[in-house]
Amino acid sequence: MSAAPPKSVFAKPQNGNGTVLPVSNLGKAIRVNGDLETDGELHIQGCVTGRINAGTLVIAGDGYVEGDVVARDVRVDGRLNGRIFAVNVTLAKSADVSGRVFHNSVTVEQGARIDARMPWRPPSYFETLDQLPETKS
Amino acid sequence: MTMFNRTDNKPNETAPATTVPPPGAATYTATPEVKKPQAVAQPIMSAAPAATGGVSVISKALKITGQLESTEDIRIDGEVNGDVRAVSVTVGNNAKVKGNVYGDTVELAGTVEGKIEAKKVVLGGTARMTGDVVHQDIRIESGAFIDGHLKPEFGKTTSKTNGAGHA
Repeated sequence: MSAAPPKSVFAKPQNGNGTVLPVSNLGKAIRVNGDLETDGELHIQGCVTGRINAGTLVIAGDGYVEGDVVARDVRVDGRLNGRIFAVNVTLAKSADVSGRVFHNSVTVEQGARIDARMPWRPPSYFETLDQLPETKS
Repeated sequence: MTMFNRTDNKPNETAPATTVPPPGAATYTATPEVKKPQAVAQPIMSAAPAATGGVSVISKALKITGQLESTEDIRIDGEVNGDVRAVSVTVGNNAKVKGNVYGDTVELAGTVEGKIEAKKVVLGGTARMTGDVVHQDIRIESGAFIDGHLKPEFGKTTSKTNGAGHA
């Protein structure tokens, strides 16, 4: 991992003591209506409507997200309707994505269902993401 | 000298470098592995390892603004601004919930500002509860801070879901 400026939205998944933050998990049966914010890792198996801000986000096979996602790394195995802003994006073969995928590096597995524009952006674009009007909540 | 010398008595070693793939299948799948992407990004690991059944964990780094609803258990170690509704809700030591908490069982070791409505309520020694508690069965450990009313009325008057038994 490259040394990112501490003010960036992509803070490393560590707190001040250098210990790794625990993974948050939203199980299958959960429904969230609102915004999620974490510097660490977030796994979503349930249904989330709203904005997500995370270090690493994984939308599992059963997961469904409707809204904007801002993260350093994003992996989608489930469904997403909205925009992704992430340096590294992985769309697995079971993914179903519609919207826009702003990325610096993208991996799409064979079989993924994508109905989206996928604009490439330089790494500097993601450093200043939280200041962009389009990604402000 | 010649690579494909048939007269050699070891047939297996004739062409070690260029093994001919079986016609058809192999050539198609092999190509993507050869040219790996130059980008430094390594694909994120699959979702499997941290998938611990259906239990939802809001870790201490996570902040949620909005409603949270589940038909299973929720453990909160982070911060929630909004209502929480689940079968069993556990609010951890340094967790904070601003909003109402509904459930069958609510265990509180952290802070809740709002109402708790649950059949069984456990307030631990580190609990800070600001608001009313509607319960049927409650346990309060020494050290818990409570600013609010305790009402043993769960399922009687306040609950909209359970109107049975009341004429």
